[in-house]
Amino acid sequence: MVLHTTTEVIGLAKSLEEESANFYRKAAGAAGNTLIALADENKKYIAQIERAYYGVITDALEGCFSFSIDPAEYTLATLTGGMPYTEALKKAVAMEEKIISFYTEAARQSESLMADIPRAFRMVARKRTERVTRLRTLISEKEKT
Amino acid sequence: MAILDEPIKEVLELKNYIDGEWVKSEAKDVLNVINPATQKTMARVPMSTPKEVQQAIRAAKEAFPEWRRTPPLARVRCLFRLRGLLEENFETLSRIQTQEHGKTIDESRGETRRGIEMVEVATGIPSLMMGYNLEDIASGIDEYVVYQPLGVFCHIAPFNFPFMVPLWFSPFALATGNTFIVKPSPRAPISQVKLAELVDEADFPPGVYNVVHGDAGAAAALLESPDIKGVTFVGTTDVGKNIIYKKCGETGKRAIVQGAAKNFLVVMPDANIERTIPALMTSFFGNTGQRCLAGANLLVVGKDDAFYKTLAKAFVEAAARIKIGYGLDESVQMGPIQSADSKKRVLGHIEKGIKEGARLVLDGRKPKIAGDYPDTCFIGPTVFEDVTLDMTIAREEIFGPVAGIMRAASLDEAIKMVNSSRYGNAASVFTSSGRTAREFQYQVEAGNIGINIGIAAPMAFFPFSGMKDSFFGVLHGQGRDAIRFFTESKVVIQRWL
Repeated sequence: MVLHTTTEVIGLAKSLEEESANFYRKAAGAAGNTLIALADENKKYIAQIERAYYGVITDALEGCFSFSIDPAEYTLATLTGGMPYTEALKKAVAMEEKIISFYTEAARQSESLMADIPRAFRMVARKRTERVTRLRTLISEKEKT
Repeated sequence: MAILDEPIKEVLELKNYIDGEWVKSEAKDVLNVINPATQKTMARVPMSTPKEVQQAIRAAKEAFPEWRRTPPLARVRCLFRLRGLLEENFETLSRIQTQEHGKTIDESRGETRRGIEMVEVATGIPSLMMGYNLEDIASGIDEYVVYQPLGVFCHIAPFNFPFMVPLWFSPFALATGNTFIVKPSPRAPISQVKLAELVDEADFPPGVYNVVHGDAGAAAALLESPDIKGVTFVGTTDVGKNIIYKKCGETGKRAIVQGAAKNFLVVMPDANIERTIPALMTSFFGNTGQRCLAGANLLVVGKDDAFYKTLAKAFVEAAARIKIGYGLDESVQMGPIQSADSKKRVLGHIEKGIKEGARLVLDGRKPKIAGDYPDTCFIGPTVFEDVTLDMTIAREEIFGPVAGIMRAASLDEAIKMVNSSRYGNAASVFTSSGRTAREFQYQVEAGNIGINIGIAAPMAFFPFSGMKDSFFGVLHGQGRDAIRFFTESKVVIQRWL
C-alpha cells in the first residue's frame, strides 16, 4: 500500500529507525558499544524528525498530498541467529543504504512542499551516510584481524 | 492502516465556562454533536439562554478592571502556561478536531499548530503593545501615545476550524488586557471546551475567559449587549454582512467580520506542474474544501491546448486518487463534509453545475469510502471543466470539494476574471516568472495572495486579510492589526510647570 500522507511517512521513518535500532542491539553481541551507540542515535533521529513534523505542520501545507512512497521498497533485512559479526556489519551497510534511499526519496518528494520536513530527512540521510563509512571501516578492520 | 484511538469515547454533556466555573445550562434546547465520519453522537451542546449569555458578559465585565491592571508580563505568563499545556495536549486536541469536524489527522495537527502559534505570538505583547513618544512637540511639551484595552470582546466561531479560528483573536485580546467570551460553533464545540479546560488549568483569573454555547440566539444576545466592546466573527457573508456587521454598527462595536470566498488559483504555462499539483490538491480538497482560503476556480492561462490538457488531466487524475475516509485513519487524505446538511447543499451545487452546462469530469457524489462508515457526510472530489464566469458554481461559495476549471487567454484576462468576483479573500498564481507574480499580486483584489502557494494562510504575526464581500471591518485578526483592534490609542500631551 503506497503512502501518501505525511503522518504515514513519519510513521514509516519511525518504524525504520526502530527496526534498525533493534538490528544493532541484536548484532552488538560481544563487539557491543559501537553498535549500541548506533541504536541510541536512532532515537535522536526519531525525535528530530517528529520535532520537524509537529513543529511545522500547518493546515496550509500539502500534508496529505506530498508523498507517494511504497513501504515495500524499504523492507529491512533481519538478523539470523549465529550470523558472523562481519556478515552482520555487511547487512547493516545494506540496511543503512536502504534507509538512506528512503530519506532521500521522501525529501525529494516533499521538497518545497513541506517546509522543514525535507530538511530533517536530508539531515538524517547525511548522518547515515557518515554511519555507512564507519560501518565499512569496522568491516575492513574486522577482515584484517 | 490502524485507526488512531478516539479521545472522545462517551457522549459528553457540554457546559458553559463562566467566571472560572463549569456551569450547567438551563437551556431546554440541546443539539447533538455528531462525528461526521461515524455518525456517532459525541456530545450534547446546550443552546444557552440570553440570561446565561448575560451571566458570561457580566463575569467578563467584572473581571476586566483587575485583568487590565495586571502587568503585561504577568498576563503573558498565563499565556506561557497555556502554551505549555497546549503542547502537552497537542495530540488529544488534534484528534478531537478530527472527531468533531471530520478533517484528516494531518490537517488537525496543522490546525492545532496554527492555534498554538497565535498564543506564542501574543506572548510578545510587552513589546508589541508599546506606544511611542516625542519630546518637545513644542518647547518643554512632550507627547506620547499609550495603547489601552477596551473591555469585553467576543468571538462567534465557525465550524470549519473549530479549534484554531477562535485563537486568531482570543490570545491577542487577553494579552492586551481585555476579557473574552467565545461562542463555539454548536456543530463542533468540543475542542473549544478542551481549550477552556486548559485555560482554567493555566490559572487565568475567573471571568477573564468564558465560553458560552449556543446558536443564533446566543450570538444575538452578545451583539445586543452594550457591554461588549467588539465582536469577531468568521462565517458566511450573508450573516456577517447583514447581521453581525450591521448590528455592530448600530451598537457602536468594533468588528472583524470574515465572510465567504470564491478563490481563484491561476496556473501560468510556465508553472512547474509536478510541484503545482499537490498544492492544488491541498487547496481544493484539503479540509474537504471547507475553508475560506480553499481553491474554488482553477484558471489555466494561455492558448496552448496541450498545456491545458496536460494540467487538467494531471489535476483530475490526482483528485480521483484521493483516499476518502475517517480522518483518524492515517492513510486517509480527505475526510467527510462536516454535516449532512452541508453535503445536501454541496450536492445541490453539483446539480446546478450540470444544469448550467459545465462538464462534470470527476463525479464525487458516490465516493468510495475506505472503511465501513455510513456515507451520510461523504462526498468525493468533484471536478467540472468548461466552467464560465456566469455559472453559479463559478460565482458562489460551495464550501465543499468541488473544483471548476476555466481558461483565460492571458494573464491580463485572468486578473480581470479574478477581480470580477464579489469576493476577495484569497488568490494564488503558479508561475516561474517573477514579473508575472508581481503583476498578479499588484493587480488582484484579494486580501491574501499566494505565489506558488495553494493556501495563502497568513502566519500569526501577519494579519489575516480579506477584501470586498469576504471581509467587513477595518483591522484584521492576527498580528499587529489584532493588537490595534483590541486596544484604543490614548494620546497624552504633557507639560511640567
